[in-house]
Parts: sequence; structure tokens; C-alpha cells
Amino acid sequence: MTSVPRYAHGSRVPGWDEAVDLDKDPASVPEPATTPVPDDLRAEIEGYVARYPDRRSAAIPALWAVQRRYGWCAPEGVTQAAEVLRLTPAYLMAVATFYDMLETRPVGRNTVYVCTNISCSLCGADELLARIQREVGDDSDFNVRGFECLGACDIAPMASVNGTYVGPIALDEVPELVAQVRAGEEPLPARQLRGRASVDPGADRPAPGEAGAGA
Amino acid sequence: MPRPERRDITFTIDGREVTAPENTMLVDAAKLGDVEIPVFCYEPKLGNPVGACRMCLVEIEGIPKLQTGCSTPVKDGMVVHTQTDRVKEAQQGVVEFLLINHPLDCPVCDKGGECPLQDISFGWGAGTSRFIEPKRHFTKPLELSPVIAIDRERCIMCYRCVRFSQEISEDYQLVLLERGAHSYVGTFDGHPYVAPFSGNIVELCPVGALTSRPYRFRARPWDIEGAGSLCTLCPGQCNVHFTVRDDKVMRVLSRQNDGVDDGWLCDRGRFAYQAIHVDERITAPMVRDGGELREVSWERALDEAAGALRRARGSIRALAGGGATNEEAFLLEGLLASLDCTALESRPAGGPSPALAAALAHPSLQAAVPDIDYAHAVLVLDTELVDDMPILDLRVRKGVRRNGVKLAVATSRPSSLDPNAAAIARFAPGAAEAFVAALDAALLGDGSGASVDELAALAGTTAAEVGAVADLLKSAGGDEQAGDVVVVHGERATSGPRADHAAKALLNVAARLALAGREGAGLLEVPSSANGRGLREVGFAGGAELPDAPTAVYLLRTDPLRDAPDRSAWDRRLGRATTVIVHAAFLTEGVREHASVVFPAESYAEQDGTVTHPDGRIQRLRPAITLQGDNRYGWQILAELSRRLGHEAGAVLTAPQAWQRLTEALPAYAGITLDEIGGRGVRWPERNASAADEADLGPFALERPPAPLSPNGALRLGTYRTIWDAPEVEASPALRYVLGDGHVELSPVDARRLGIADGERVVVASGADSAEAVVALREAVRAGSAFVSGNALAGPGVEVRKA
Amino acid sequence: MSLKLLFAGIDEPGLRTIDVYRRRGGYEIAPRALEMPREALVEELKASGLRGRGGAGFSMGMKASFIPQGTMDKYLVCNADESEPGTFKDRELMFKNPHALIEGMIIGAYAAGANRAFVFIRGEYVEVADVLEAAVDEAKAAGVLGDLELWVHRGAGAYICGEETGLLDALEGKRGNPRLKPPFPANQGLYQGPTLINNVETLMTIPYILRMGASEYAKIGVENSTGTKVVSISGNVRRPGNYEIELGIPAREIIYGLAGGPPEGREVKLWFPGGSSSPVLTKDDLDIPYDFDSLAKARTMLGSGAIIVVDDSNSVVDVCLKLATFYRHESCGKCTPCREGTNWTVKMLERIHSGEATPMDLDIMASVQTRIIGNCLCVLGDAMAMPVSSMIEKFRPEFEAYMDEVRLGADAHAPLVPEGALA
Ligand SMILES: Cc1cc2nc3c(=O)[nH]c(=O)nc-3n(C[C@H](O)[C@H](O)[C@H](O)COP(=O)(O)O)c2cc1C
Ligand code: SF4
Ligand code: FES
Repeated sequence: MTSVPRYAHGSRVPGWDEAVDLDKDPASVPEPATTPVPDDLRAEIEGYVARYPDRRSAAIPALWAVQRRYGWCAPEGVTQAAEVLRLTPAYLMAVATFYDMLETRPVGRNTVYVCTNISCSLCGADELLARIQREVGDDSDFNVRGFECLGACDIAPMASVNGTYVGPIALDEVPELVAQVRAGEEPLPARQLRGRASVDPGADRPAPGEAGAGA
Repeated sequence: MPRPERRDITFTIDGREVTAPENTMLVDAAKLGDVEIPVFCYEPKLGNPVGACRMCLVEIEGIPKLQTGCSTPVKDGMVVHTQTDRVKEAQQGVVEFLLINHPLDCPVCDKGGECPLQDISFGWGAGTSRFIEPKRHFTKPLELSPVIAIDRERCIMCYRCVRFSQEISEDYQLVLLERGAHSYVGTFDGHPYVAPFSGNIVELCPVGALTSRPYRFRARPWDIEGAGSLCTLCPGQCNVHFTVRDDKVMRVLSRQNDGVDDGWLCDRGRFAYQAIHVDERITAPMVRDGGELREVSWERALDEAAGALRRARGSIRALAGGGATNEEAFLLEGLLASLDCTALESRPAGGPSPALAAALAHPSLQAAVPDIDYAHAVLVLDTELVDDMPILDLRVRKGVRRNGVKLAVATSRPSSLDPNAAAIARFAPGAAEAFVAALDAALLGDGSGASVDELAALAGTTAAEVGAVADLLKSAGGDEQAGDVVVVHGERATSGPRADHAAKALLNVAARLALAGREGAGLLEVPSSANGRGLREVGFAGGAELPDAPTAVYLLRTDPLRDAPDRSAWDRRLGRATTVIVHAAFLTEGVREHASVVFPAESYAEQDGTVTHPDGRIQRLRPAITLQGDNRYGWQILAELSRRLGHEAGAVLTAPQAWQRLTEALPAYAGITLDEIGGRGVRWPERNASAADEADLGPFALERPPAPLSPNGALRLGTYRTIWDAPEVEASPALRYVLGDGHVELSPVDARRLGIADGERVVVASGADSAEAVVALREAVRAGSAFVSGNALAGPGVEVRKA
Repeated sequence: MSLKLLFAGIDEPGLRTIDVYRRRGGYEIAPRALEMPREALVEELKASGLRGRGGAGFSMGMKASFIPQGTMDKYLVCNADESEPGTFKDRELMFKNPHALIEGMIIGAYAAGANRAFVFIRGEYVEVADVLEAAVDEAKAAGVLGDLELWVHRGAGAYICGEETGLLDALEGKRGNPRLKPPFPANQGLYQGPTLINNVETLMTIPYILRMGASEYAKIGVENSTGTKVVSISGNVRRPGNYEIELGIPAREIIYGLAGGPPEGREVKLWFPGGSSSPVLTKDDLDIPYDFDSLAKARTMLGSGAIIVVDDSNSVVDVCLKLATFYRHESCGKCTPCREGTNWTVKMLERIHSGEATPMDLDIMASVQTRIIGNCLCVLGDAMAMPVSSMIEKFRPEFEAYMDEVRLGADAHAPLVPEGALA
């Protein structure tokens, strides 16, 4: 098959060009007798299953569990989750590829999402992303991604560093931030969202009908 | 779920008043007023509409936004417009959107000329595009499976293929991956989409994104002719369209008949047409000469056969199967009767007496295929539908998924319908009689009969499992009422030496559930051969004394070495017979080893005649192509033989004449003309119900079933045939990929004990017979049983050891 | 200073814990509400005038009254997906006062006749979900949930899961594709059962309403837009953040008064009044009262109550491209106009951005937007098309000037179409 030209700004997606491997067996619902599942993974997924009236609802929590265990939604883990949920692995893969946070290719274990949506970009998010990418370089321990609005425009420009919201991040703080992540330390503790007080000047007064509040 | 009631309403569309059943979707209702609303994603056979493509937008007075006609049920007094500027703008918009990333490579597209995207762009598009950005290009076509190619550039994301995989065949292998404009149709981790019904997605795809690899670039739509007929590769008898070019079958498409197939086909039916045009096919008569089969002239073959039959008078045994038509069976029956032979059978494993068989198939007890849609409960008994009558597997799934039919599965081998079942009973291989007797006792429930515990134990199951099935059936109708129950039973359940007892037990179950005369309920047998029911009705019903060592054996489209469970008995019988006359399309083992005279059997695309569906629907096979090679019609051969043997009644001149004579001879078929059968068939149990003899429908006092034969410490053998077990499949190049080593299915418990692993090659031995097989572990297989595909072994016990 | 309800004392240390929440009178109103007849509670909610805070602004009480009663399983779902660009109010509310949401859900579930409830929280809110889960555990341990079964369900990153039916599919473990409506969730929602879906802020407001009484609550704000609203304001303002306001105050008071307006020397060029899905307004619109009806009259919407301010140092083309790229990324892909329309719009904007476009392309782009609006399966398509249309309409001269500038700047002599290309 001769190759066809691709367009840099076309939407080229991994997968579009992939044929199946005709030597593989079809991927039906995994047979329990031949699909070993680690006990703790099975127990965790069964725990999620118990929360819902329908087993399938545990699909996303189960994929999270797989991602925590394997670092990404690895085919092996997805197959194991499919066995527990009695679904096909294709079902779970369809779900996993729909959601931005579920990784369907191997990635670095430190996740840095930089919000590049409107509000953050008005405050320099694109530059921040570029700066972080430069600082991280080709360190395969990192998974740095520009992300849609993370719901923290009040601390723009910001990033979610392994789930912790940090911002505003000045460009010159980036080396420190990356070093902290490398060292397994808290990222920019003073800039974390969890320590931030409300900007609303009236927020320190009690509501009508509420017993004496006061901070 | 009760069948919906139909009520007609009147609505207005483009100024016309139209009457339509209430709640029909607008696009369908519009057709009744000759208004066409274009659709892509809407396909009623796929279930609820998804409203994704937005092609069908229409204006409805009183609703501000345009609405999708595919998902709007029509109501009385609705006023609909499809020709307004707003609607046109929206339609042109959708066409424009769909084409922006479509490659417009129609000149090199296999779908060209029969493509809904072309037609709708022509009819409803603006004719121009304002999209000047570069289009996306990808490698294409890619393999999606050995039989399907995918061209992702052309896909318009209509969801049809993935809905089929997810909601019809429920294999859930084909999915949409990624999101938004990046979405694409694919499978898990590069696995091929291989499933028994996968080919339907080719027919569903409204563009050239999914194409049949065997058909790609074999013909242009204007070079081909369509010929409506049937597929007789299994008892499903799906209605098909043969695509014919230059007198060759190039493709098989579904010809939707909701009474039979709902518009689907299995991959055997869709791709095994290739066997019609392969060199291996027998297309000239042959005679054994000096130990070798040699091609001879028709005259010689007919003379030899006639002579042999004449000499064997009184000692002939005939077995019919495969796609033998009613006419062929009728002519052979008459011919052999003139030679004092009535040893005619069509059940290779033996069956109940003709009277009991007729009782099981009695019009008052006969369920029709569509009854499954709205039954309260369905019991699948001793059959794996996806293998034995694939199309019915989809039907059962549909009932469960869409209408809440409660499903009970009672089989020895784990069934692919288990996940859909509300109750499952697993009995020991061969213990169907004991299971049904136990079910009967449980349904009776007053302890007056034999104890459920004891019978369940004889069946190798538990009273709890039997009870679960009984409870489900008893109360499916709500308020502790049985309601409409359909029992789909495999031929195997009532076969073997104790077939009469099993048949009585089954009739008892029907009686306990009050199925007789009940609308929408009843029994439905899955015969082992495509026209099993017709053959029996015409006279191949067993019954008469069957000589164990006949002088001559007549095999009409069947090879017992392939089809019969007691292979070795038949091997001996054929070996001892002086003459074996066969009608066969392929030189299968029994033909090769034992035939004295071979008549080429024309393929189902060439056949002219009728067959009878398991639910009593008489359907018609019409020749789609002329006879291939030196073939003659089966009825013609039998007429020739009749003429030679002086049996004038059988010397018909045409197939319709044979049908005419058959309807005169058989009250059940009386008066049914070929015209009446037409393209949809006629169910004689509905039309001629009164023609059926009075039958004794029980309840009977049951004899205690014997304890099952002990496997003597070995594993108990169960056999099965996969959907792919057919000479036509083996001869079809496109289906080579399904052929492989036979499997032995074991429970992990036994495998551990035997130190055998999944995928390991083993020897499975039973007495003097043995076979190699690959181990497939299945959690759901009960410990103590082993399931082997094919009929190489007979059991009851088998040893499994490393090869 | 205006009245505070949800934000009153929200920074109180320990408010996340049930003890502090209780000390402030928490979990007192729920048992009282559960003693009311269900219909009376629903009437009370209706009377408060509370409108949904998630985007559509539908009357909360009305929606609760649509839930058919009977023995079938019914559900309450809290929409905590909060993915609308510019919106971060639910985050702060849940993070700081999770028990108020739980109490609101106890009452909301009773109003819907539901005994199972889920919070669907966006996967990115890891810290918030941890806090919320801890609070739910506390509430369970304290027995305040009664027989209500409540679970926090984390999403995994998809804006479309904020759309209520997409959310239901996601919660059922599927791809979060929106469903065809009807049937509406109130009739056939989660697992086909009647389902009441409300935004975090909507549910959290309920305890405050009941404490003060619906008629008192209805006096806050203006007609048809009663009560307070937590507004997220971000972009080019000096004090971005969440502010609780009384509905109906002039927008200028929020943008300039509370958030301090654009930085020194800058002016407001355009602003989104209700998240990025709302058609934009300009500096001439700053005196519009910030309430549902006034904004609707200005052909835009209050949406999620998120104001994004863009000052005059930014180009409308950049903003438009960012916006369209977001919607292309988030389109679920199920329906044609949205999937292809967002994609095409981005490609056109990229062309404009790189100087390969002419004013005619603006007309095509505008027409593409009209072919999207109203024709999609859900309103995500509209959510791009409406603001894009409004930008083309209100900033056409700037778009055209931009095209000229980029094209001339890139290569003043390059013909638009290479010579010979049309031969
Ligand atoms: C594309 C899209 C995204 C949405 N995102 C959210 C969201 O993140 N949070 C939310 O509460 N509502 C969101 N909505 C609105 C919901 O569909 C729904 O109207 C709301 O949850 C109802 O709750 P309410 O009546 O309390 O506002 C979104 C709607 C659309 C069309
Ligand atoms: S491949 Fe064909 S059937 Fe499947 S979504 Fe695309 S256009 Fe539809
Ligand atoms: S046919 Fe109606 S939306 Fe596709």
C-alpha cells in the first residue's frame, strides 16, 4: 500500500490508519478461566460495581483503577476489567478513548495538565505550557498536556499537577515546580488552590438563619 | 410484554392528509403519503432511533425547532412540512457537513451506484460545497476482518455498524473510538471483528466505508441482477437476494422477511455462496468403477441407479437432509414406495414416532418465529441457536433486549445466550429427557409425580436449577400466570432410542404451561437439517422398521458420516450395502468412500422447489442462476429414475408439477399454490390448521428415565456442531479463516486435575475412536463434562490426555 | 455590601467537617423538610423562584414536580461536571462547604421521591472529590442520610458530560453521548427511571431557601430571577474569583466593582456573561442588569453565571479560535452538524489566523453557524455557533482588518491564489 499525503493541520488521530491484525483472535467477553485478574484489582472493581444498580456503571471507576495500576489503560488491564465487568474490552476501550483523562497510550507517571482555555490563555497560559514543556524536556516521567478549562480561571494561569491545582504560576517559578515534581515534593505549596481564601469581600459574614459563623 | 395495539390516526404532511398507525415514526408514516424524508442513521431493524445524522429534520407546526422525523412518533392532527425553506436549508447543511470530510472518491468506490450517500446528496444536497480546506486522508482500505474492509475516510458516523454489533448481535466487538471529529469505527487493540453475524454491517453501511472483501470490485451495480430466493444452509431459511453477474452468484444480501429473519443473515449464509462456484463441486454424475468414482454420462448413471434400486427392492433405506426440497423428498418417497420401501428418515440421530413428532409440531402447539418477539418467556432447550439456527439467536436477543422477554436456557453446553438468561439449567450431555421430566414435575409442583430432586439428579443437574426454570416459566405472565411461553427445542432433545419418552415429557411441559391453542405461544423445534420439517411432513419421518443392513442406501443431500452422531454405525452400514446412491455437491468422506452412484446436487441458488420452515412456513426456492456444469435438477433426476422404474406418478415434467402433486397428496399442504407462497411464504399451521390430524397432546404418565450411561470415571462427552460445520463453508475461500483445529472444551477444574492448559493440543479418546483437539477452557463448563465439536467421537465417556 | 447566603462564612476553618457544619446549624433543616408532605416541599421550591444554576435556568421546583411518583426506582443526580469554560463556582462551593451540598441533596432527593443519589463530579476535580467523598462518608457515619444511598461518581474528562443526558450515559458507564429528547430525564433518566438532575449550586441553595422561607428568598433579586447567584469572573480583570451577588445588579458592578475591571489602561473589549457558550457582549452592554431575563433580552444568556472579560489588548480572532477549538475538542461526535460544523469552523478560523482567508470566508463561517444552530442533537453545537456568530456580527471590521494585516504582513505581494492555479 503506498502512503498517502497527510496534512499537519488535518485531524490525524492515532488509530485512523490502523488495520486489525488478522492473526489475533476476536476480542469477545474475556473467558474467566483464561483471564487471570489480580485479586486486589478484582476486589476494587467489584466494590465499585456494588454502588450501582447496573454493573456497567462501574466502567469509568474500573478504568481509573486500571490506570492507577498500569499507568495507563493498558490492553492487559482493560481485558482484566472487562472480565470482572463481563463486558468486551472493546466496550471499555470505547469508553476510555472518549475521556481525556484516561490514557490509551503509555505516558509518564507525573501528570501536568496546563489549562489553555480562554481565561487562562488571556493570562499567559500558552506561554506557561511552552515553558513547562521546555523545562521537562524529554523526561519520560512526565505527561505534560495542554488541557481544556480546568475550572480554576481564578488562579490563571494554572496547572493541575498530579491532581493538585496550582496557580497562578509565574514563568520563573516553572523550574522550581518541575524540580519539586521530580523530587516527589508538593508542587509550589504557596500557590496551591487549597490554601486560597475567597475573594468575595462579604464571605466572612454569616448567612441569615445560620448560627453564628465567623472566620 | 404485550404486543402493541395498532390504532390509526390522520396527520397532514406537505398539505396531504395521510392515515398511519399512531406512533409510527414520521419518516415511515410519511412514506404512506408518498413523501420521502431522507435518512442515514435511521434503520428500524436496529431498534430505537439515535437521531444522530440529522438528515431527517422536518418542521412540525407548533414546535419551534426542527424535529428529526426518524424519532418523532406521529400523532393525530400533526401538521408536518418537509419542503419549506428552513427544512431545505437544514438538509443542505447536513449534506454539506457530511461531505466536507468525505473523500468523494466515488469512481473508485465499490458502493457507487447503490450508495445512499450519493442518492441523498443528489436529491437533497445543494450540489456545491464551500469547503476548500484540505480533506483528511488516511491509509485505505484497511482490513477490519478477513471478510470486511474498512475505509475510514468515507465513514459518515451513522452508528449503524456499531449499533448492530452492540444491540443486535450483542458481540460488542465493534465500537466507536475517540471522540468528536476524531471518532472512528474500530475494535479493541487491533483485534479483528470476527463474529457470526459480522457481515451484516456491510449491508447496513450507507456509504462505501464497509465493504465485503469477497465482493469488492467484482461488479458494478448496473452489471448485476438480483434474484430473490432462500438460504438453505441451515433450518433458519433466511430470505435472500442473490446478486448475480454472468450467471454467477457474486454476493448474498438479506431480503427482509420479519416472519423469518428480521432482515439479517449470518456469515455462513452471507459468504458460503462461494461454494457454488468452486472447482471442488461435483457437477457431473459419477459411478464407482473399479473402486474409483468416475464421471460418466447421465444415461449411464441413471441406468446404474435404476438397476441397483430395482435389484434392491424391499431392502432400501433412505436418508434425506441438507437442503433437499419437499418436491425431491416427495418424489423419492413415491419412487421408493413403488419398490416396497418405507424406511425413510431425516433425523440422523433417530426421533420419536411419527405420531409423537406430529404432536410436537401440531398446529395448536406450533409457535411462529415472531412469537419470540413478544412472548412472556422463552425456553431454549438443548440447542445452541447461534450454531444450530443462527438467525433465531438474534431473534431471542431482540425479544429479551427490546421487549423484556424472560429467557430460560437449559442446555448441557454453556450457551452464548447465558448472559441474557434469567434462569439457566445445565444438565448432563444426553440427559435432556430426564431434565424435561424434572421440569414437568417441577411445573406440576404438587409432588404427585416423581420427585424433582430425583429426576434432576438423573439429569445431572439440581432441583434448584430446574426449579428456577420452572418458576420463570410459570410466572412469566405476571400474577403467577404462565403467559405466552415459547419453547425452542433442539432436535437433539427428542432423539436417540428414548426419543418417544423425551417427546412425551416435552408434551407434558407444554400441557402444564397450557400452550395448546394459545396465540403467541407454543413449541418451536430446531431441526438438524435445513428442511427437516418439510422432509418429515412429506414422509421422511422414521417410523417404519429401519433395516440395519439394507442392500441399497439412498442418501438425498446428506452424508451421515458427517451429519449423524453414530458415525461408525453408518460407516459399517454403508460399507455393507451393495449400492449407495447419493445426491451430493461435494465429495465428503461418506460419498468418497461408499457411493456407488453420485448425482451432482445443484446448489440452493440453482434449486427450484419448496422447503418448510421449522415453524411451518412453506417457502419457495427459485433458481437465481442456471444449472452449473452438467447439473440437472434433483426433481428431474428423481423423475427420470421414476420413469425408468415404471413409476409413472413420479415422472413429473416440472418442479411446479411435483408441488401440485404433493399438495394433492398431503392434506397439510392442500390447496397451497406457488403463487400464494410467493416471496413471503405461507404458514400451513395457520392456513390449513384443520388439516392436521387429531393428535394426543398428553399429558402422559412418564416412565422414569434411566440413569445416564456411566462414563466410567472418564469425562462425560457432549458434542456440538459449530455454525461453520458445513461442506459449503469449507469450500468457500472467504471463509477459510474460520476453519481450524477442533476444540475440546473443559472446565478449569478438570483441566487442573489432568494437568492440561488452555490452548494445549490433546488427544481425546472414546473407546477405539480418538481425535486430536485443542483445549479451550471455559469457566461455565460443568466439571465432569467435555465438549467436542463434530461427530468423531460417540462417548458416553472420553479420556483427555496430552498429545 | 450585598447579602451573602452560600458564601457566608465559607472560609470558616473546618467547615468541611460535619462538626463545624452542624455547629452552624447544618443538618437541621433537612429533617424538618422531610417531615413536610412532598407536594408541599415542591410547592415551596416553586414559590422560591429558584432557577437552575447550571446553564438552562429552568425552575427547580417545576422540574421536581415533573418527576412521576410511583413504585419505580427514582434518582437524584447532582451535576458537578462544571466544565463550562470560565466557570468555577461549584468547585469552591463543594470544596469549602461539602455538607451544604449533601444537605441540599437529601432534601432534593425527597422532593423527587428518590432514594438513590449520585454526584457526578468532573474527574479533574480530584481534590474536591476527595473532600466531598470524605464528607459523604462522615454524613453516612452520622446517619444524616437516612435511607438515601449517595455516591460520588468521578468523571474522566469530557465537557459533554455536563449536558444532562450525556451525564446520565456517562454515569451508566457509557461514552457520554447525549440522548435524544424526549424522553426527558424527569420521565426516563438514569437506568430508565425518573431522574431529577440539578446543578451543585441549585441543590446547595435549597437549605438556605428553606431556612429563610421561600417567600423571603423570593424577595431577593428581581422578578423571574430571584435569589443570589455565585458568579465566577475571570480573564482580564484584576480580582478574578467567585462573588455571590444578588441577581439583577448591573454587570458593571460585578466586572468593575467587585472584580476591579481590566488592568490599568485597558478597556473591556468583549465579555461572555454566562460562560463561553453565551453570545458575547461589548463594553456598551456593561449596564445590563445581571439576571436571566435582561440577558436574554440582550440575545445572550446568564448560563452558568461565569463572566469572562477580554480586554482590548487581545484580538477577537484569537479568542474566537480558542473558543471554537474547545468546542471541536469537546463535541461528542454523535450528530453531524456539531461534529463537522465545529471542525470546519476551526479550520476556517485557522485559515483566517494564518492569513489565508478573505472576507467571503466570514460569510461562509456565519452561514455555517446558522446551519448548526437548532439542528443538533444537544446544544453543544449551538454553544459554539452562538458566540461565534455574535463575534462575527459584532466584530466584523476587526476580523477583516486582521485578515488584511496578517496577509500583508506575511508577504505583501503574495497573491491569494497562486498564479496558474486557476488556469
Ligand atoms: C454542553 C453542555 C454542558 C453543560 N455543562 C454543565 C455543567 O458542567 N454543569 C451543570 O450544572 N450543567 C451543565 N449543563 C446544563 C445541564 O444540561 C442541565 O441543564 C443542568 O445540569 C440542570 O441543572 P439546573 O437546572 O440545576 O441548572 C450543560 C449543558 C450543556 C448543553
Ligand atoms: S462505517 Fe458505515 S455504518 Fe459504520 S458509522 Fe461509518 S458510515 Fe455508518
Ligand atoms: S435519520 Fe433521523 S437523525 Fe439520522
